[in-house]
Formats: sequence, structure tokens, C-alpha cells
Amino acid sequence: MASTAPASTVPTSTVPSHPGSARANWRIFWNGGQISYAALFNWARPSIYIPTLLGAPTFQILFFAALGSYATGMDPAYFAIGNSVQVCSMAGIYGMTMAVANERWFGTLPTLMASPANRAALFGGRFIPFIVNGFLVSAYGFALSWIFLGVRFDAATLGIIVLAMVVTAFSCSAIGAVQGGLSLRLRDGLFGANLLVFLFLLFCGVNIPLEALPPWMQAVSQVLPFTHGLQAVREAIDGASLAEVGGLIATEALIGLAYAVAAFFLFRWLERSAYRNATLDSR
Amino acid sequence: MTFSPTFRSDAHQVARVWAFTMRIFMISDFFILTAVVQPIIFASIAFFLFQVGGDAAGEQTLLFAALGTGMMGVWSTTLFGGGGAIAWQRWEHTLELLVAAPRRYDLTLLGQTLATTTFGFYSMIATLAWGVLLFGMPLDANWPLVLPLSLLAAVIGLGIMGMLLATTFVLYRHANALSNLLEYPVWIATGMLVPLALLPGWLGPISWVLLPTWAVEAIRGAAIGAEPPWLAIAMCLILAVVYYVIARRVLVYVIDKARRDATLNLA
Repeated sequence: MASTAPASTVPTSTVPSHPGSARANWRIFWNGGQISYAALFNWARPSIYIPTLLGAPTFQILFFAALGSYATGMDPAYFAIGNSVQVCSMAGIYGMTMAVANERWFGTLPTLMASPANRAALFGGRFIPFIVNGFLVSAYGFALSWIFLGVRFDAATLGIIVLAMVVTAFSCSAIGAVQGGLSLRLRDGLFGANLLVFLFLLFCGVNIPLEALPPWMQAVSQVLPFTHGLQAVREAIDGASLAEVGGLIATEALIGLAYAVAAFFLFRWLERSAYRNATLDSR
Repeated sequence: MTFSPTFRSDAHQVARVWAFTMRIFMISDFFILTAVVQPIIFASIAFFLFQVGGDAAGEQTLLFAALGTGMMGVWSTTLFGGGGAIAWQRWEHTLELLVAAPRRYDLTLLGQTLATTTFGFYSMIATLAWGVLLFGMPLDANWPLVLPLSLLAAVIGLGIMGMLLATTFVLYRHANALSNLLEYPVWIATGMLVPLALLPGWLGPISWVLLPTWAVEAIRGAAIGAEPPWLAIAMCLILAVVYYVIARRVLVYVIDKARRDATLNLA
């Protein structure tokens, strides 16, 4: 015969009731970030993750290595490096878009907005899984390029390459967060996400050397993620030291930070606007 | 020449579904991106790369690139539209109605996938216009009278290939993941932008059984080929028949199985 426990023994949350405490904010940042990844990232399961985040990047790298070397006569490694870095956008852009916009599509946005959770912690925590994910996809791309496409680098520069890749994955996730914020209002959020991923291929020196682009495109590339991070990776592979590429990595980090701040304020503005106009969950 | 009432009725069904699906695509952000915006971006990448490299593909480099990237867009549209055709009907809860209707479901599906491919040909127009307007591309066809035949063979062939994709992808729970995976490999294996002669030899036999190989060859041959692409046009039509037979058999199997297991609407 089953028995029910007295009401007084029902476990209660160990989180302090004050929602603004440092511990509560940390839990929202760390645990909330992981939970949002598991719940909102549609591609987290292996049956989607493997074809989309490993299979598609594999063929993207091979395609551009073949096209680039055929069309320009340049070393396939140049295109392999560019695309190995760029493939982190699959996780960063689509992932962050889903991590924000799926709150609306899954119907959890009103509950989230009604909670007293710290918005900076709530928002910032969502970056971590996608930065890690983006870095891993890029690392996979580099492994593939090393095996098949002749990408080689000195082990001494590995740390610099990893740093540049992590920073690039962050800046990519940051612009993905902006897109996620916009998706709270747009009919089809993935339109902008797809567009961004394609534009990176064209503008950021992934396939076309920046100096071959018209001046206006070079100017645009300077404010997009990838451009400086990718340049830092290329120079580090050529043997540059941290002192030599530190400026590029710092610029990439600042661009990412600017997009992250813009995304946060966009999110807050949309939240206030949704309260005011009763459009929180409108589609 | 007279057609039997059954044939006219079937053709009417395909035409109505085609027109209806085209109207849906025209207001779909995703398909506008796939058929218009994405090909323009890829065409720009190709144009810049060929400019960096000088004259790697000969005198008609830009036209070569525009036709190739246009066909890449057609393939993407066919892949996502065809691959998701049955899955979308499931999500919209219209699949049971269509399957239960007294009309043949394979013809409904054919109308859908033909519309997908037809819409995909916007990408060809987009990349050609882009090349002419921004990169000063010459727009001449070596075999202008053969070009419409090439386009027709490509539309029919790819439309039926879309039907094959629809019937096979539905067996996999996440059809969109398969679509994401298969976009680049077919661009590589069918020589859309990089001649097959420059790729590993083992890709040759794979490319021969892929209809997009012959579709791009038919269109490119009519535009910049030295001889009319009769072989490519014939191969498009032969493969279309083969694909249709396979697609119809798979469709019958899938629908029967779904009815038996009561899983028609279980995505």
C-alpha cells in the first residue's frame, strides 16, 4: 500500500528565496544555460546533431577546398582553414537563435518573462553551451582539414589558435543572440540566421581574400564576427606569436561583446514592449 | 491527338497541386532565401573566386559559374522542398486527408515536387541576372533552341527526384537533418562548380546515377557547350523514369506500412 509523505517533508528548493542573490544568479546562469540547451536546441539529439553539425560542415569544407583551389589555384588548405573556423556558426547562429526564439515557439516565454530571474544571468548563461559547441565543431573541422587537406601548424601555436577559435565562437554566438532577439518578433527567425551564415562565407575572408573584395564589402567585414578571429587563426598557423595576433583576437572579442550587449538590450526592449502592447506570445 | 479522360484528370490534378504549391512557396521566407538569396551569395563567392584566379574556367567563366550556382539553388530547393514534402503534410495534419482522398496520392506528391523544382529555377534567373547586372557577364547561348528542352528535362527530372526524396526521407524521423547533410555532397558529386574530371575517379559512377549531374550538363551544354547536349537531356529523362518507378514503389510501401501500423501522422 502506498503512502504519501506529510506535507512538511516535501523537499523544497535549496536556492535562497531572494531572486537577486549571487547564488540564485549563478544557478540561473550555469544550470539555466545547460537546461536551455537541452530543451530549446532542436539539434541536440545525435540523429540531428551528427548530420547537421558534423556531416554538413565536413562537406562544406571539402566543397570550398575543391572550388577554391580550382578557381584560384591557391592551396586547398587556405579554404579548409577559413571554413573550419566558419562552421562554428552552425552552432553559434542557429543555436543561439533557437535558444532565445524557441521560448516563444514552445510557449514558455510568458512563464520565463513572469519569473523574477536576473535577466543578465538568464541571457548570459545561454551563451556557454553554444560557445563550447561551436568550438568543438571548428575543432572537428580542423582535424578533418589536417587529415585530408594538408592543414599543418606548429604545436607551439596551438594555444593561440584555440584562443582565437573560442573568441570567434563567442562573437558568433553573440550575433546569433541578436538574431534570436529579433526572432521573438519575426514570423520566421531562421531566415535571418540562414542569411547570416551565408553572408559570413562571402564577407569575412572565409573563402575570398579580403583584399579581393570591393572596399564597401571590406568595410562591412570589419564589423562582422569571424573577420578578425579568422585572420588571427591564419596568422597563428603561419607562426605568429600571441603578441602579434593579440590585437586581432581582442578586436574580435570586442565585436562579440558589442553584439552581446546589443542583444541583451534588444531582449530587454522587446520584453518591455511586449508587456506594454500585450504582444508577448503573439505569432 | 486526344487524351483519355483518366489522363486528362490526372494531368489536371498535378497541375492544380503544382499551382497551389507554387503560391505557398511564393510567400515562404525559407524558400525565397533558398531559391533567390542563397544562390546570389554563392554566385558572388564563385565570381570573386574566379576573378582572383584569373580565367580558370575559360572565356565564359562567369556564365559557367552563374549556371552552376543557379543549379546549386535548384538542387537546394528540390532537396528541402522534396525531402520535406510528406513531413510537412504530417506537421500540418493534412496527410491523412490527402492519403484518404479518392485521388491518387502519388500524383499529388508529384505536383508538389514539380512545383518545388519549378520554384527552384528562380535561382537560375537570379544568378544570371546577378552576373549580368553586377559582373558584366555575357548572356549568350550556343544552342538557344536546345536550351528550353534542357530546362524542361531538368525540371521534370528534378521534380521526380524530389518525389523520390520525399518518399525515402519520410522513413527517417528527421528529414530536415538529412536535407542539411545532402546539400554540399551533391554540389560536389554532380560537378556544379568544379568539373568532375578534377575530382577523385571513384566519384564518377556516383555522379552518373545522380540526375542533377545530367541536368546541369544539359543546361550548361546548351548555353556554352561545343555540341548540343542530347545525351544529357536523354539521361535526365531516362533517370526520371527510373526514379519515378522507385519512388512509386517506395510510396506504396510507406503508405501501406503507415496504415498497417497506424503511424501515418506520427512524425
